[in-house]
Amino acid sequence: MTTLCFVAVAIIGLFSLTTLPIDLYPDVETNTIMVMTTYQGASAQDIEQNVTRPLENSLNAVNDLKHITSKSRENISVITLEFEYGKDIDVLTNDVRDKLDMVKSSLPDNAENPIIFKFSSDMIPIVMLSVQATESMPGLYKILDDAVANPLARISGVGSVSISGAPKREIHIYVDPNRLEAYNLSIETISAIVAAENRNIPGGSFDIGSDTYALRVQGEFTSSDELKNIVVGSRDGRNIYLRDVARVDDSLEERAQQTYNDGQKGAMIVIQKQSGANSVEISNAVIKMLPQLQRRLPSDVKLGVIVDTSDNIRNTIRSLVETVLYALLFVVIVVFTFLGRWRATMIIVITIPISLIASFIYLALTGNSLNIVSLSALSISIGMVVDDAIVVLENVTTHIERGSNPKQAAIHGTNEVAVSVIASTLTLIAVFFPLTLVTGMTGVLFRQLGWMVTIMMIISTVCALSLTPMLCSQLLRKDVKHGRLYTLLFTPINKGLDAFDNGYAWLLQKVVGHKTVTILVCMAIFVGSLALLKHVGTEFFPTADDGRLGVNLELPIGTRVEIAQEATQRLSKEWRDKYPEIQTLNYTTGQASSDNTYASLRDNGPHIVSMNIRLSDPGDRERKITEIAALMREDLKRYPEFKKAQVNVGGNRGGAMGGQATIDYEIYGYNFEETDSVARQLVNVLQGIEGTADIMISRSDYQPEYQVDFDREKLAIYGLNLQTAATYLRNRINGSISSQFREDGEEYDIKVMYAPEHRTSIEDIENILIYNSAGQGVRVRDVGKVVERFTPPTIERKDRERIITVSTVVQGVPMSQVVEQSQAEIYKMYIPVGINIELAGSYEDQQDSFRDLLMLAALIIILVYIVMAAQFESYSYPGIIMTSLLFAFSGVFIILYLTGHTLNVMSMIGAIMLIGIVVKNGIVLIDYISLNRERGLSIRQAVVLGGKSRLRPVVMTTLTTILGMVPMAVGTGQGAEMWRPMGTAVIGGLTLSTLLTLLFVPALYCIFAYVGVRRTRKTHRRNLANNTSK
Amino acid sequence: MKSILITFDQAHYENIVTLLEKSNCRGFTAWREVQGRGSRDGEPHYGTHAWPSLASAIITMVEDHRVAPLLEALKEMDIRSPKLGLRAFVWNIEQAI
Repeated sequence: MTTLCFVAVAIIGLFSLTTLPIDLYPDVETNTIMVMTTYQGASAQDIEQNVTRPLENSLNAVNDLKHITSKSRENISVITLEFEYGKDIDVLTNDVRDKLDMVKSSLPDNAENPIIFKFSSDMIPIVMLSVQATESMPGLYKILDDAVANPLARISGVGSVSISGAPKREIHIYVDPNRLEAYNLSIETISAIVAAENRNIPGGSFDIGSDTYALRVQGEFTSSDELKNIVVGSRDGRNIYLRDVARVDDSLEERAQQTYNDGQKGAMIVIQKQSGANSVEISNAVIKMLPQLQRRLPSDVKLGVIVDTSDNIRNTIRSLVETVLYALLFVVIVVFTFLGRWRATMIIVITIPISLIASFIYLALTGNSLNIVSLSALSISIGMVVDDAIVVLENVTTHIERGSNPKQAAIHGTNEVAVSVIASTLTLIAVFFPLTLVTGMTGVLFRQLGWMVTIMMIISTVCALSLTPMLCSQLLRKDVKHGRLYTLLFTPINKGLDAFDNGYAWLLQKVVGHKTVTILVCMAIFVGSLALLKHVGTEFFPTADDGRLGVNLELPIGTRVEIAQEATQRLSKEWRDKYPEIQTLNYTTGQASSDNTYASLRDNGPHIVSMNIRLSDPGDRERKITEIAALMREDLKRYPEFKKAQVNVGGNRGGAMGGQATIDYEIYGYNFEETDSVARQLVNVLQGIEGTADIMISRSDYQPEYQVDFDREKLAIYGLNLQTAATYLRNRINGSISSQFREDGEEYDIKVMYAPEHRTSIEDIENILIYNSAGQGVRVRDVGKVVERFTPPTIERKDRERIITVSTVVQGVPMSQVVEQSQAEIYKMYIPVGINIELAGSYEDQQDSFRDLLMLAALIIILVYIVMAAQFESYSYPGIIMTSLLFAFSGVFIILYLTGHTLNVMSMIGAIMLIGIVVKNGIVLIDYISLNRERGLSIRQAVVLGGKSRLRPVVMTTLTTILGMVPMAVGTGQGAEMWRPMGTAVIGGLTLSTLLTLLFVPALYCIFAYVGVRRTRKTHRRNLANNTSK
Repeated sequence: MKSILITFDQAHYENIVTLLEKSNCRGFTAWREVQGRGSRDGEPHYGTHAWPSLASAIITMVEDHRVAPLLEALKEMDIRSPKLGLRAFVWNIEQAI
């Protein structure tokens, strides 16, 4: 019966495992909502005043709002609402919508309705493909669209496939303004005529005899050459053909993004997933499809992979699985060494996978995935799930050795320890269950860890109380006969363990004899380690090495794309020569077309270059990603062309997890000049601090541009208005899309515009002819002036105040160090009244998480105390046991100091887990000592004997946990940076605390016990005296 | 008729019931959980935190000639696992209904 139940659990668990998707992190629900409002023709300041502020004021009342930031740019206001993590975004969206409805009426009349836009991590591309082409370059877009993008978009789960770098075909009608003028034509007329000619019009149906026929006019052009022969007007009785006033250029769009892969021009295909789809599955399908797609392409077009995010996920998970298996192996070895019997070891080994597998059922039921957090939970638990089984097994073995037959021994042995097994599980649950209650970012991450460990603990206890005794009754034998190999192997081990026990007993004798000295020495170690804390830096998350670098370069605004391209080409060549670690290097520059969803969401423009670099696997190279990034930043300093340059580890700047930490200094203040100057001062200050890199000011520069100031009165005289005049300008320079040219089911824009040579100077603009409704032409210079101006930058606001952010990447030193130094410098700076500087970025996240975690630690300590107090029916024993926590924390500090790790969220979690594990050791010890006293031994004897007999279980459970963590702490696989601090912290804390607990706790116990005895004696004596005096 | 009171560690229970059956002693009365400790040595059986083990007791009335072999068998059982503890006490039955 028992067996069958557990077999069923194992089978369901294994089945769940096969259905579990793989991911890097648990699903993090989005926590941001954007509200976009357009108000055509308004300047940044108008937008801020009339749109952004009223919206912000009313949106600020939405519940659970963390920050409200906004960008007011020409024509558009973008408000970003950042909510607390873990809230239901749908409910929040409704709230936001309600608030918008309320405020809508107070917006300017011409402002469009605000649009709500939910931002999510799904926007991050999961696969980027590079395309190299030579001869096929001109037709590349169509080739890729047909042969690559469309098949890829059909893979289930793929959200969008965007092609960048391959310009689309476009038919240009380049008009010569002089000829137009001569024939008295305008761009608008030509555009209208082209549109009118390029038509298919159904004429209805008519009957001939007994049949019905459809009547149609097929006027659509079948080739672009036909365009030339359109009649656009007539003069002196002669037709004017389009070819007389313009040239038809069937080519590619003028301003397109250019993409270079490893120095060769080509294109880039970006694949984004649908929300909720699994990245690994999609990328697997994409990669599988590639060879098949390649076959359909012309021979000069080559597909390659630039970024495959799932690569990193797979490698990380693989190395973590390896870690879990090693942990399993170590635990088995430890158990075998200490128990010395293979049958007993078998029993323990069987219970481990069952507890672990049961947790897969939880994952599958809640729709979670196998990710860093859930696998770490497995790795952590391996050492702990064996503890209960070991306790039961030991007691059953004692019974058998006393002479019971295995079956009876299993029953009675288990009953005897059931309560204490449950109690010790409760203390662990008291540690891990509160993890499920944490809110915020850390909560999202560690909720899963909390649930998984809690579930595994419960299952392992159930296992220990049912499966283990069952197996004991079947597998254990009354009289064990050992083979020769056993004797050979275990005689020295047993001798060693006995010597260890005796040595400890001797040491314990000494310690109990010199209690004060022991306690002083231990406290000195604790206080000493606190001093080390000063030298241990703090940061948010460790930087993960996923082999991806994103480089964003910005040239001065208005730089032509050719110049940006040339400089980047030089840079990329230098880098590819200099860093052999670079596997692929791809960059994109230029203005993105509006139908490229991926590119249009990012900053783009002719002066902006975004570069993706993939490095070889972390295991295959000497230099770490952060080192390479640092060298690249140095290189970039030698390129004065690039006004702003960022090297981002992990692809994105300031990513919550994995990327390099950033510190944002937020400068709040209304006055532009003052805040600008403070920002510049701050940049200077930061540059002088060690460890800062890539310092950026968020406010962009004033942008130079030409504006035409029309004189409204003059316009009115000619019967024109501003809109008509402006449209004329736009049609000539930007072009007017008159119609679509259809070929093979594809549509291409036909654009009428001035020929490029006629739009190169201010005179060209001034000479533009504007026609009024009466057909009279007037030149721009007669009704307005062309002037050069600087447009004010985007106005950024946060929490309803204007803000500039100066942000820096932290490189090579702990974040806390940069924060401390910069705060000291900022304190010295002159800051005008009304301006204040606040710290945000990873630093703010870190502060939030640390606060959460410290609260959590306090909560856990209280819970654990309550559980222990209930178990011991005493207030002082739990207090004694709790002292071992001090050493756990000093162990953490010492090992972090020695290994050079920092105190970050991962090592904090390690420290929190220690609370449960360390306390467990204390419980085992104190429990047995007090048992000895109940059996009538003296305090000193109880302590020494109890310590001696409990040494092995304590050392064994500690070793299983420590060795379970060793693969985590020394792992070198991909993503190992993330959990290395956690493993290290647990090892350090557990080692030191176990060593000191074994000495400190007995000493402290003695003191408390003597006090207790003295108090009882005193009461007794008083009672005696009272009785005699009566 | 003699009565035999057997007190022993819980682990012995099934063996003793089987022994009684084999020895053709049908009737008996058993207490599955009793506490106590031996006069000379052995662990107390209190079912407490300090002494978690428990004892059982069986009282059985047998014909006089069955007493000796039964005690013999019990003695053997006790010698086999001295740490568990097993004691038997015999006295006369004067009347019964």
